[in-house]
Amino acid sequence: MKILVCVKQVPDMESRFKPDGSGTWFEEADLAFRMNEYDEYAVEQAVQLKEQLGNEPEVTVLSIGPDRVNEAIKKALAMGCDRGAHIQDPAPQGKDPWQIASIITQFAQGEGFDLIFTGMQSQDRGSAQVGVLVAELLGFACATTLVGFAYADGVITAKRELEGGIKGIAKLRLPAVVTCQLGLNIPRYPTLPNIMKAKKKEILAIPVADLLKEEAVASTARFYPPARKGGGIVLEGDVGNLVEQLYGILKEKTTVLR
Amino acid sequence: MSVTTELTDYMGFQGLLTDEEKLVRETARKFVNDEVLPIIEEHALNETFPSHLIPKMGELGFYGPNLPEKYGCAGLSNVAYGLLMYELERGDSGLRSFASVQGSLVMYPIYAYGSEAQKEYWLPKLAAGEKIGCFGLTEPDFGSNPAGMRTNAVREANGKWRINGSKMWITNGSVADVAVVWARTDDGIRGFLVEKGTPGFSAPKMHGKWSLRASVTSELVFEDVIVDEEKSLLPNVKGLKGPLGCLTQARYGIAWGALGAADACYQAALEYALSRIQFDKPIASYQLQQRKLAEMVTEITKGQLLVMQLGRLKDQGNYSPAQVSMAKMNNVHVAINICRTARTIMGANGIMSEYPIMRHANNLEAVYTYEGTHDMHLLIIGEKVTGISAFR
Repeated sequence: MKILVCVKQVPDMESRFKPDGSGTWFEEADLAFRMNEYDEYAVEQAVQLKEQLGNEPEVTVLSIGPDRVNEAIKKALAMGCDRGAHIQDPAPQGKDPWQIASIITQFAQGEGFDLIFTGMQSQDRGSAQVGVLVAELLGFACATTLVGFAYADGVITAKRELEGGIKGIAKLRLPAVVTCQLGLNIPRYPTLPNIMKAKKKEILAIPVADLLKEEAVASTARFYPPARKGGGIVLEGDVGNLVEQLYGILKEKTTVLR
Repeated sequence: MSVTTELTDYMGFQGLLTDEEKLVRETARKFVNDEVLPIIEEHALNETFPSHLIPKMGELGFYGPNLPEKYGCAGLSNVAYGLLMYELERGDSGLRSFASVQGSLVMYPIYAYGSEAQKEYWLPKLAAGEKIGCFGLTEPDFGSNPAGMRTNAVREANGKWRINGSKMWITNGSVADVAVVWARTDDGIRGFLVEKGTPGFSAPKMHGKWSLRASVTSELVFEDVIVDEEKSLLPNVKGLKGPLGCLTQARYGIAWGALGAADACYQAALEYALSRIQFDKPIASYQLQQRKLAEMVTEITKGQLLVMQLGRLKDQGNYSPAQVSMAKMNNVHVAINICRTARTIMGANGIMSEYPIMRHANNLEAVYTYEGTHDMHLLIIGEKVTGISAFR
C-alpha cells in the first residue's frame, strides 16, 4: 500500500495578525509557523495504519510552500512518515484551493497512492476544499471530517462528524481520500531520537511550476480584521421592567423563545 | 492560567536554528504545556517530585540527548540540548534539575570516563529513564572547594574498594538507582558508581526547602561501602578535572534553563500588565511598568544570544569552562531579577501559587548557588581576565 499525507504549515493561531501590503493575506514576518493541527491528526492516522499493517505501507508526506515548510515535513517524518515531498512555492497563499488540489493531484498521479490523508481544513484559510477536490480529480472515494478510522481488507470504515454533533459511518473502498477532524486521535510527540533519525529520510524537492497546470478559479478580494463591535446594551429600571425588556429582546432578536 | 504558545524571541534568535533544533524545542514545549504546567503547582506546594513524568521524559529522549545514538541517546546538537533545558525550566527548575543531573552529571561521566562495559550497561537504561542517577561531589564542609573532600576510597584485596564519607545537597539522591560518587584515593580524586542497596550506602531525603520543592534533595552516607572495581570505578579519569568536566556540561544547560524560568515570569507579567486596569488604564500603559517590561525582555534577549553563541562554540568543540561560567553566572542572575520584578508588576497576585512567579523566583535561589555559586563564577571570570586566581 502507498499512502500520502498532505500537510500545511500555518501560523501559530495565538499570533496577532495584520493585513499584508497587498491587502489580500496576512503579514507573515514575525509569525511562528507550525503544522496545521488537523494535518497532525492525518499524520498520526497514517502512521497508525502503517503500524497496523506491519510497517508495510510507505507513507509520503507532502507540503507546498517556501523552505520553512521543511520543518513541518520533518516533523511528520519524525512522527513516522517515510519520505517527504516539498513542493517549492514561495507564495502558496496566492493560489486558490483548486490550484492547490491540482498541484497535489499532479504529484499523486505519478506515484500510485492507494490512500490519501489530510486535515479537514487549514487553520488559516479554512476553505476545507482541498481534500475533496483531490478526491474528485483523482476519481477516488472520499469521506470528510473523520473522528474514527478503521481499515480491513481494502475497506475503510470512517466515522464522520456531521452537523450538530451527529455522527455517521461511511464505508469506502480504496483508493480513497479522507480528511481528519479533532477527536480522531492524539498525535504522538516527535521524540528527540526520532527527530534526529528523520534527518536521514529523503525529501524530494519539486518546483511548483513543474506541477501547476491550472488557472485559479477564485481569488481573495480583501483581507481585513473584523470591525470593532459596538458597545453592549445596558438595561435600566426595576426588576420587573428589566425582565420584560430582556424578554422582548430575546423574542425579537433571537430564536431561544420560539 | 493561559499558556502562551511561543517563547519570547525579541531578536529573532530562532532564525539561527536548524529545523531539528526547532522541532526539539516544540516537542519539549508541548510536553511542558500538556504534562507539567497542570500539575507542578501542587507538587511544589506538597514538596513532591512528579515521578510519573520520569518514564515519559525517557520515552521522549530528554535524558543525555546530546550523547550518541549508539547508547540509546538522540545525538542532538548542544543548542538543541539547551533549548530542551529552556523549555523544561519554563515548567520548573526541579524538572530541569532532574534532567540535568541524569544527563550531564550521571550519563556524561559514564560516557566520558567509563569503561565500554559500564557505558553499555548503564547508558541505555538511564536514557530510557528505567534507571535514575545522582551525582555526589558536594560535602557538608566542602562546597565551593571540592578538592578538600573527606569522602575517601581505599583499594582492598581482590579488586574491591572501600568507601567512607558523606555527601550533601544531592539532587535525586533518595530516588537514584546509581550514584556517581567522587572520593579521595591514594591516586587522587576518583569516580565510583555505587548502586542503591549496596550495604553501608544510604540516602536520606532532606526536608524543609523553600526552593526546588518539586525536586528530591538528599544526603548520601557511605559507611564501609564495598564496591567492585571493574563495575564501579570510572577508569578513564583521575583528579578534580573529572567532576569539574561534568559540572561544565550541567552549567551549560543551566545557563539556558534559567532563561526559561525568566521567560515564564516575563510572559505572565506582560499578560497581567495588559489586562490589569488601574486608574482606568491597563497598568502596562504606565511608564514605570513599561520600563520594567523593557528591561526584562532586554535581559532575556541578551541571555539568549549569549547561550546561542556558547552553544555553537560547544558544537564546534571550541569553548572553555570560563565561558560557561559567564553564561551560568549571568543568566541565573538576570533570571532571578526578572522573576522578582515580575512579582512587583503583579502586585499581591504575584505571591499566589496560581501564578508561577514565586515558585520560579524561589527555585532560582537554589540555582543561583548550585553548580558553582554566582560568586565563584565571578572569580573564575576574574581569573580568566587577570591571570590571577583569587580563590586558590
